[in-house]
Amino acid sequence: MARIVVIGSGVSGAHAALTLLERGFAVELWDVGGSEEAFPEPVATFHDLKSRLLDPVAYFLGSDLRALVPPAAPELMRYPPSRQFLVSERHALWGFTSETFVSYGSFARGGLANGWGANVLSFDENDVADWPVSFDEMQAAYKTVCARIPIAGPSDDDLSPYLREVSPSQPAVELTATDKRLLRNYARRRTGLNRDGVSLGRARLAVVTDPAREDACCYCDRCLWGCPRASIYNPAISTLTQCHGHGGFRYRSKRFVVALLASGGRVTGIRYLDTETSELREEACDVVFLAAGALQTGAIFLRTLKQVRPDVAPETDGLMDTAFVKIPYLVLGSIGQPHESRAFQFNRLILGLIGAREGWPRYLHCELLHLTSLIYHPLIERIPLDSRLSRRLFFSLKSALGAASLFFPDKLTSHNRQILLDGPGRWENVRLHYAETTEKEDYIRTGVRRVQSALGKLGCLVREPVRSPPGAALHYAGTVPMGRGFKRCDSKGRSNLFANLYIADGAAFPSLPSKSLTLSLAAHATRVALAARF
Amino acid sequence: MAVLFPLWQIDRKEYDAICAYLELTPNAELFGRLSAHLANAPFHFPCPEGFSRFLAELRLTRFRVARLDYFTKLWSPNHPLRHALNGVVALHECDAAGYRELAAGATGRAVFPQLAVWVLEFLLRVGLTVPWLGWQAIRYTLLMPFRPHSSLASRRVLITGVSRGLGMDIMLECLERGANVVGVVRDAESLARVRALLPVESPVFLLNADLARPGELVAALQAAQVQPASIDIAVLCAGVKHDGESALALASLRKTLEVNCLSAAEFAAWFAKQNAESHPASNPSLQPSTGSRMQSAPPDRGVRYEPRSLVLISSMGRWHGMHGSGGYNASKAALSIWGESLDMELRQSSDPRFAVIVVEPGMFESDMTQRTTLTKLLFVSRRDVARRIISGVLAGRRSIRPPAWFALLTWGVCLAGRGFRYRLFARVKASRKE
Repeated sequence: MARIVVIGSGVSGAHAALTLLERGFAVELWDVGGSEEAFPEPVATFHDLKSRLLDPVAYFLGSDLRALVPPAAPELMRYPPSRQFLVSERHALWGFTSETFVSYGSFARGGLANGWGANVLSFDENDVADWPVSFDEMQAAYKTVCARIPIAGPSDDDLSPYLREVSPSQPAVELTATDKRLLRNYARRRTGLNRDGVSLGRARLAVVTDPAREDACCYCDRCLWGCPRASIYNPAISTLTQCHGHGGFRYRSKRFVVALLASGGRVTGIRYLDTETSELREEACDVVFLAAGALQTGAIFLRTLKQVRPDVAPETDGLMDTAFVKIPYLVLGSIGQPHESRAFQFNRLILGLIGAREGWPRYLHCELLHLTSLIYHPLIERIPLDSRLSRRLFFSLKSALGAASLFFPDKLTSHNRQILLDGPGRWENVRLHYAETTEKEDYIRTGVRRVQSALGKLGCLVREPVRSPPGAALHYAGTVPMGRGFKRCDSKGRSNLFANLYIADGAAFPSLPSKSLTLSLAAHATRVALAARF
Repeated sequence: MAVLFPLWQIDRKEYDAICAYLELTPNAELFGRLSAHLANAPFHFPCPEGFSRFLAELRLTRFRVARLDYFTKLWSPNHPLRHALNGVVALHECDAAGYRELAAGATGRAVFPQLAVWVLEFLLRVGLTVPWLGWQAIRYTLLMPFRPHSSLASRRVLITGVSRGLGMDIMLECLERGANVVGVVRDAESLARVRALLPVESPVFLLNADLARPGELVAALQAAQVQPASIDIAVLCAGVKHDGESALALASLRKTLEVNCLSAAEFAAWFAKQNAESHPASNPSLQPSTGSRMQSAPPDRGVRYEPRSLVLISSMGRWHGMHGSGGYNASKAALSIWGESLDMELRQSSDPRFAVIVVEPGMFESDMTQRTTLTKLLFVSRRDVARRIISGVLAGRRSIRPPAWFALLTWGVCLAGRGFRYRLFARVKASRKE
């Protein structure tokens, strides 16, 4: 039997492996396999932890206070130091550099899905209009992954036409009073807002909410700090457990894949670093599914390309990222509302902006997050009043505060790409070359203005937007995109250069819609694994 | 943690003042964490300049915190007070009791009258702040010509004798101004002590060399691959004093001369010789450092070449003899005269390489001075002496004698003749024995 190796245990790798196993193949899944420490106090709320933990400062800010955001820093929050799944430039194995692009990845089992904001959205024909893909195939794959992932949400609302492939299987998460107020405001002005191309609805979230289930969400308000009851979907927990139920599955961790070995238009093996012994090793294989995340997949592909085609510039055909803008706002009618001690921390509402703008998908995704629990000092410091009044104002207005997160789509350009660097190391690092186009900047400005106007109509006082640097939203794609040319793959994810190599993650996307990626990554991996022939 | 960087760190009373202003109950454990956090601030954030720095030097009281808070938020977002206020809020929000205090406030309709009161209070604070800031601006205008300050950002300073006393204070002053430091201590025990004292992120490279042994300092620098061209300022501060010993105690005299004077000559010879070989004017690939530790800086970053300095820490004692301190005073006299001669020699050449600055501090808190009635009156803060030395070096002065009044007093005593000096210093010696 052919030796099939899936590289990466994130949402793409896990769903590719499970699909192959369900087709009856034996599958090996390789990853670095890091894990996080257990999240403490499974039922305690975010604020309860402050009295229950022995050292809450170390938990919330880190023992060296590295999550303390300095006064003049641009960011509004830092990732919880207690979460260990994320790696960046500071990690020895993270071989990406850039002056303009902040890059993150994960060496943990489950990959970046460990930090998924749980928003479940599906692409539609419009989102993938320029993809060389039959949408019927994608629909079938969405159906399969929706059955694997618990989805909490309404069966029908104004966003349903844009999320047709999402089928909720769990009751929608509970809303806070401010969420409900916004929905009421929306209902009152719905006709006008719809005319402006604005739809407000409840988020579809990958979380177990059915109280009959043991792992149901307890609204502890700690989603960002790591769901202590595993209510939020994580491929490392549920999908890999399903994989282990198949006799042909073999999970091999502590393997950081550097490159593939290839000859005669076929991949013949894998070169990897044994992270336990720090030795570089090689193993033969017959079929490879690359699902290491768009950045790593691109890097592995480039190192392989350099071996077989030294005459070609070792650069990818693309690199895409969703530009990320936050717009703080205040729901005027919610001022003075008491704080709610239990809530679902991630966004519970979604604002969809509908409106054709030539060359871009019709749906622009915006998540409305109302503050329930967070580390607040950067927000207090940002208020342009003295600290005493800022502190008092902030906590008086907290239940009325919100932030709209806008995700802008991206397209392949000849400028944005990964470039393999020469270097003295054991393998080559990769430079990420990225800049926004003037056309996209204009699109971002228009999108921000539309959201500000919509929030105003919903009874909110809106503040200036905060733009994150490229890469900060962690939505990367298009490093080995579908299309023509030997640096690309076909519509079924098969590499145009190597007949037995499949691009099972977002690296294969030839454009990047605004919608949250994760469900579509799972669907793409499933579709690729279903269509693969060997 | 001790307050090493008074510009950035706050002491317990200042922390209490901030807590009172923010309506929080002080918490000793949180204060300890804040203090350790702020001790690393000089290595991450730019040193405030001008009026902002002048305000940062004020001791914090509740009144001053209220005055400075809004001003710094609007005009100086990286001001040390902002880090302290932000740090207090960040730490207290992680604590259950602290969070309850922070989040306390009315709900429902009662919020609106409360907001109105808070806004009025805020306006009152602004009303008080404007004239106070005006007064501080006048003080700043009047005082700053006498308190020049320059940044040492991106510059590397070598300092000997950093394990205690003036050497330690000069090192802390340099670190607070953004320098990165190569510190020399006598032995491994001192090295461990200094390392334990400094914040973990301090850009300090410590070397171990006993200056009483000829050639050991230069050997240690060479062994650590410290290139002289990477050092912008060398402050030779290490010194020994054998109090109460006869001027005829030859072993002590030799050791004193070796540490206090001859080691400086050895270092300068190496410094000058190496500079001749690798001076930036003749070899542009060897430029002064720009903030990276030791030899990690790439050679061709095209940084601006700054004038370089050799700073010799002598003493006002070099102007006269003294009971029981003859060797020390003689060694400092030799150091001052030799330093001046070296400077003349270098200035005469077409390629001066570096300036030699002779520092002759007067009375200040030191491990080598004893606290007597007289010295208590004459003391100036050791950190203040360090500040004046570094400011003087950066202002391009060739001789620095802090405090000035003590230099005038010393010269007055010298002019009064040997008989007067004999009687005066005999009385000082007698008062020390008491």
